[in-house]
Amino acid sequence: MSGEFVFVSCTVNGTAEELHVRPEEMLIDVLRDRLALTGTKLSCDLGACGACTVLLDGKPVSSCGTFAWQADGSDIRTIEGLADANGALDPVQQAFVDNSAFQCGFCTPGMIMLARGLLDHDPAPDKSAIRAWMGANICRCTGYEMIIEAVEKAVLLSEGAENE
Amino acid sequence: MNEISPNLRVVGRDVSRADAVPKTTGAATYTVDVSFPGMLHAKVLRSPHAHARLVSIDASKARSMPGVHAVATRDDLNGLNPTYGYFIKDMPIVAIDKVRYIGDTVAAVAAETELQAVAALERITVEYEILPVVATVDEAMADAAPELFEDEPMGIVPAYGQGASGARRLGRNNCYRFSYETGDAAAFDGCDHIFEDRFVFSRDQHFHLEPFVTVARMDGNVIDIWTSTQSPFPLRKELARVFQHPENHIRVQVPYLGAGYGAKNNCKTEPIAVLLARLSGRPVRFCMTTEESFLTQSQHAAILDVKTGVMADGTFVARSGSIWLDSGAYSDASPLVAEKAGYRLPGPYNWQHLNIDCDCILTNTTPAGPYRGFGGTQASWASESQIDIIARALGRDPYDLRMQNVKELGQAYVPGESGIDSDLRAGLKLVADRAGYADRVSGDGRGMGVSIGFKDAGGVNKPTQARVRITTTGAVYLECGSIEIGQGIHTAMSQIVAELLNTGFDRVIYPGLNTDHTPFDQGTNASSAVIGTGQAVQQATLEAKQKVLDFAAKQLGCDVDELELDDWSIRKGNESHPLPPMIMGYYGGTGYEFTGAGFFKPEMDHAAPLETQCVSWEFGWGAAEVEVDRETGLIHLKQLVVSGDAGQAINPLVCRGQDEGSAVMGLTGVLFPCMVYDGATLINGNGLDYRVPLATDIPDGFVSVLQEQGHGPGPYGAKSIGEGCMLPIASAIANAVEDAIGVRIRELPLSPERVLAAIDKAGQ
Repeated sequence: MSGEFVFVSCTVNGTAEELHVRPEEMLIDVLRDRLALTGTKLSCDLGACGACTVLLDGKPVSSCGTFAWQADGSDIRTIEGLADANGALDPVQQAFVDNSAFQCGFCTPGMIMLARGLLDHDPAPDKSAIRAWMGANICRCTGYEMIIEAVEKAVLLSEGAENE
Repeated sequence: MNEISPNLRVVGRDVSRADAVPKTTGAATYTVDVSFPGMLHAKVLRSPHAHARLVSIDASKARSMPGVHAVATRDDLNGLNPTYGYFIKDMPIVAIDKVRYIGDTVAAVAAETELQAVAALERITVEYEILPVVATVDEAMADAAPELFEDEPMGIVPAYGQGASGARRLGRNNCYRFSYETGDAAAFDGCDHIFEDRFVFSRDQHFHLEPFVTVARMDGNVIDIWTSTQSPFPLRKELARVFQHPENHIRVQVPYLGAGYGAKNNCKTEPIAVLLARLSGRPVRFCMTTEESFLTQSQHAAILDVKTGVMADGTFVARSGSIWLDSGAYSDASPLVAEKAGYRLPGPYNWQHLNIDCDCILTNTTPAGPYRGFGGTQASWASESQIDIIARALGRDPYDLRMQNVKELGQAYVPGESGIDSDLRAGLKLVADRAGYADRVSGDGRGMGVSIGFKDAGGVNKPTQARVRITTTGAVYLECGSIEIGQGIHTAMSQIVAELLNTGFDRVIYPGLNTDHTPFDQGTNASSAVIGTGQAVQQATLEAKQKVLDFAAKQLGCDVDELELDDWSIRKGNESHPLPPMIMGYYGGTGYEFTGAGFFKPEMDHAAPLETQCVSWEFGWGAAEVEVDRETGLIHLKQLVVSGDAGQAINPLVCRGQDEGSAVMGLTGVLFPCMVYDGATLINGNGLDYRVPLATDIPDGFVSVLQEQGHGPGPYGAKSIGEGCMLPIASAIANAVEDAIGVRIRELPLSPERVLAAIDKAGQ
């Protein structure tokens, strides 16, 4: 530990945050331990499994492999930031609920953020694009098909919402 | 499929899971999220040697490091029974006389931060005397092999019934043998053909995403733990024994589990967390890394020699088998896995004679323990591969040979056993038809194979209790000890309760487990919840419901037979009487709770080989289609059709998730490298190097088809579904490979190297 701190200014789920972080502190530690956003889960700690996925300026990143100081000046979204203030779920969350696209749930926040990142990037991906994108994260429970179908469903839910 | 009985309102429907919102919003609490003021963090020192005597250990420098509040070595075990295990108590909390594998726990530190704990570990000095290593089953069984345990550890052999037996220490590093025999061995003499084959099974690691984790604290004299466990009640009993502590002064609480697949049975992080909490007087969190999971628990690698005698017309006659399980460095659940691997090797077929031994061999590697399928995966791999070998030798279609020999619905598995409770032919026909088996392309690098995965479900002599409480306003508490590990048990059980009470699913809550007041359950394992706990839940619900009806009959001055419960009102003919005012009128304005208790346990039966008849039989039917590249040896999975029989699906979508999840998990041991050892050193034991199936590995032709045959012992005819579809995967794919390229591979995983070697060996 260097004892020196780095000043980080960022937005987390729409709220401005200003933090002094240690140089070796990871983004996931800040989210879980300082901001009490424990929905983001740590698993492999090597950026391989994706359980810790959050959106950094709209792009999915492993928060276990992202230094906290790298978040300076950026906009961060976590699983806690998807539902609106009234508790209405994001279409991706709603699709995961409707399609039973989770089991133990430990990968689910990361999977949902990964899918959110996809739909922000491409609102109407086809099934093969969904499969390729969702291949970034590990789920050991579901066998993936119900997750992929949930992302397809989220596309439909989003289109439906736009047409209302 | 998935037809809903017109009489059912909640059961059989795809209601949103009870844990849906918490798990999709990040609100669900897991043990990793539990925290207390002043909580310390534990880290352990692990052995760099596969086998060594512990000459000396000096932790004095570590004790004075910044932030360190407790250090535990073998010198800190006074007053404890410091070893634990299932049948055999051989695993120490920290190493006492020896270390037995790379990663064995030598010492533990609790400090204010994980970094401080790690820094302190580096100041512990250990002197080892290196001992010879046995890294494989063959090495461990050799005549002059060094013994992992020179003295016999404390342990038991359980009572068995007709034809079954257990034994200990029959050879070098042999910690347990399960045997089963029935019929006359002379049956082999009359066979027209005898087939003898050796099969080798791979060693997967569970790779549960939530690590092994426990938070422990002393609440006065109460050992108070939050832990990620599948078996909190047996854990409480084991901790009471280890720590010489009254069982009612140990409280185990279990938040949501980030999966387990078997790994989270019995002690893992708990003893060290408790020991350090006692030593420090502070709450202690012990959370392993993924790398440490690989050094804590694995599946059993296995060698299976199978000898099968058949008649010229394809009739199965006799089977004998010898199985050697690689148990790793400690016995753990190996005796239980041996029992299941041995007992399941016959498969669901008719035999006149069976004679099977399954031995657990200790090696200087990660301890092997419970893993989804529990010996059945190993047994099905060998059994269902050999059936194809036999079929091809006899010039028979493997599908037809199975159809000829499978057990009928209701037929006893072996003498003294319960009847098979699925129509096996219907299941096989279903997956074969779905995959297009009859019109398949066979040969020239493309082929198809089928398999019937099989296991007994419900555990052995497994008791479970449940309690249902209904409040004045009709809110329902369902209290039972099945853990929500991802399988959807909160949802399924709540659906059953809602159905029986003629009320809505959202009226029922299933509180988290706390051993201080949750009714006893032996563990969330053995595909037992729907068929065992489900019956206890049904009984508890009906008892509570009866009390409500009896109460209402008394208040309304009529016969109870005239009344029906309709949500939270009493219907009497055309009249509807809301219950809350009736309850408060009698019990007072603060109200009352109606309670019901339920219990399930299979009857003891000495005629049954395992001393209770099997509660139910679980199957997974599989059909695989592959394309094999002869140049690269790569197997391209084109189709994988799996099917389980839920009896009556309580929640069809949840059942689908179980079938597909177990099937894809089963792919790991077939098409991925699994745990790779260089001698006794695991070389891919981390999340980056260890490959599990990803979404991109799943073929477009992967599909599950849920059957509801209606013969299960659970509520509404429900059956277990959590493990079945894992079981046929390896053999179905290997059978498809032979169909495609005419070579038989008897060793898992089916790596490109093995495929190429098999092609070379066949001289093609």
